[in-house]
Amino acid sequence: MKLHMMKFTALLSGVLGVSSLCAAPVQAQSATPAPDNGTFDVEQLFAGTCGFCHSDGGRTAGKGPQLMNSPRDDDFLHNRIKNGKSGAMPAFGGAFTDAQIDQIIKYIRALKPREG
Amino acid sequence: MKKRWRKSGLVVIGATLIASSALAQSVDTARIASAGQNDWLTYHGSYKSYHYSPLAQINASNVGNLSVAWMHIPGRSTRGLQSMPLVADGVLYYTGSYSRVFALNGATGEVIWSHFPELDEVLIARQTHSPYNRGVALGEGKVFVGTMDGRLLGLDMKSGKVLWETRLIDSQKLTVGFTGAPLYAKGTVIIGAQGGEWPGRGPIFAVDATTGKKKWEFLTVAGTDEAMKTWGSDSWRTGGGGGWMPGTYDSETNTILWGTANPAPLYDWSGADYKTQGARPGDNLYTSSVIGLDIDTGKLKFYHQELPHDAWDFDSAVGEFVMLERDGQKFVVHPNKGGFVFVYDRNLAVKNVWRLVENINFVKDIDKTGALIGRRDFTAGKVTEPPLCPFIGGGVSWNAGSYNPKTGLYYKIGQEWCMTLDVQKTTPVTTPQVQLNIGADFKMAPPPGGEIYGHLDARDPITGAKKWEVRYPEPPLGSVLSTAGNLVFVPDSRGILHAYDAETGTELWNHNNGTGHQGGIVSYSVNGKQYIAVAAGFGGMLADEYAPNFGGVYKSMPRDDGALVVFSLK
Repeated sequence: MKLHMMKFTALLSGVLGVSSLCAAPVQAQSATPAPDNGTFDVEQLFAGTCGFCHSDGGRTAGKGPQLMNSPRDDDFLHNRIKNGKSGAMPAFGGAFTDAQIDQIIKYIRALKPREG
Repeated sequence: MKKRWRKSGLVVIGATLIASSALAQSVDTARIASAGQNDWLTYHGSYKSYHYSPLAQINASNVGNLSVAWMHIPGRSTRGLQSMPLVADGVLYYTGSYSRVFALNGATGEVIWSHFPELDEVLIARQTHSPYNRGVALGEGKVFVGTMDGRLLGLDMKSGKVLWETRLIDSQKLTVGFTGAPLYAKGTVIIGAQGGEWPGRGPIFAVDATTGKKKWEFLTVAGTDEAMKTWGSDSWRTGGGGGWMPGTYDSETNTILWGTANPAPLYDWSGADYKTQGARPGDNLYTSSVIGLDIDTGKLKFYHQELPHDAWDFDSAVGEFVMLERDGQKFVVHPNKGGFVFVYDRNLAVKNVWRLVENINFVKDIDKTGALIGRRDFTAGKVTEPPLCPFIGGGVSWNAGSYNPKTGLYYKIGQEWCMTLDVQKTTPVTTPQVQLNIGADFKMAPPPGGEIYGHLDARDPITGAKKWEVRYPEPPLGSVLSTAGNLVFVPDSRGILHAYDAETGTELWNHNNGTGHQGGIVSYSVNGKQYIAVAAGFGGMLADEYAPNFGGVYKSMPRDDGALVVFSLK
């Protein structure tokens, strides 16, 4: 079964609202990356960020555990993505909204072994 | 009871005397360059970067009598202990996770002072390459340390008091901070930002050691007009780079030599047309390069890009700059993460390239001029036959090898492993906070037709000719130390510290430190007695792959623990 691409436009205002909770005033660096386009694609997110630890797009254990067929319930996954685990998993609550985290969980639940 | 108090009082007085002597003999550029045998004054041992001790009290004939003299537990060793201890005038300085700094009596381990920087825990919780720290720099009566939240601190060498602190990176926005040790030279403290797969421009900073004021900043991504032309589609804005491990200083040319990290995303989908296609069209200067910067101005003087358009995460930030002379010629030897060792002159012109690692197929070869032959540039999709070699952990990791001027041999760990991957197009995430940009799903795989293993090689550093090799079932990740006592020490991943005969590779002694190693090892002397200090404690970006891939002792090995273990003769 092919994974459905799960895209939606990020609610930028919501995302920025969350980020402001932990943003402290800091001296601006001379080279600040440009803002990106604000789309959210979970498969791409795994290839860009999550898959660094959750190997093979979450299908096998790497630095982080295998996510495919995870016995954890959705609340656990949501909380772990949002708040992280000290020394093991970064907290993404400042980067992604609750709705985006739910999209990530949907991706995890749909994970199947790669064909071929 | 009274007697015990009196005894401990004497120890405190002794520690104070040692600390006072440290002030009496300030650590300066000339002293670091001369590398007195009793000390270990900079990350790579001296500016020559030999990771070698001229001490010979502990030697091949008596190493069997080596035993633990003292230990220090830094606490909260989240993702292990990765520090390279430094020693000046009998005082040992090292760091633990969360940028914690300790000054210890080198003979007894007694704590003279400690400094735990107050960090933004919310920020630290968001970071991936965190919260480990790889060490300090010494100079002008100060101890310098970078923090996970983007600051550089200057601490009083005697008391640990903060004399100045300078924010250099907007870590709230860029997510990354400092994990690598700084370098002190000529009144200046140099430190490179984390970067690589982190979208940003990977600055290297110079700070005035006296005042803490920033002197200059060099952007490893498009830091010059020439370099800007090598990043198509405005990809320089999120190019990665950085210089997360310390380089060295060449006083003859007044130059800082530094290795730079890879571009982001790690993996590109450009195919062969990488000059015009893909995520970051062009050569992507000055990523995966060695660069020479004027220490006074930060101006780029010369460079060599080891991997133009690095599409494999085999960067140049790893590796020491071993400065040698042979037959009247001066050389700089620098290993690249891809498993090749580059030999340069002092202006970073390539003189030779040799292969440390057997399983390499990201290129067919790199010739003696440094040209990449038969590049493997991927398009989006699966890469399985053959798997990409080496694995993302590299043919060499970031810890250092050792050059022994007595044997003329360079001792270096090689890693034999590969990976399958599925290259995918990604978009850099820079708001509200920068996120990793890998560009592929991947997993570790054995080399085609073989097994994963690691090896310690004893090589001619210029030609690469191999004298002997020792193999390990899993690649060791710690640094290597060689000494004038005809010894080579290798702290391995299972937790065993090995001592080998430097001429033959025969194992002479070993000791189980109880947990894996992935940090530094040094030797020093206090009051005429030689010590070997090694950081034990496993965990981190590469070590975390060991439990799921190798099982065995790694399944139960803690990744939040560590100790500094110091040995001397019984």
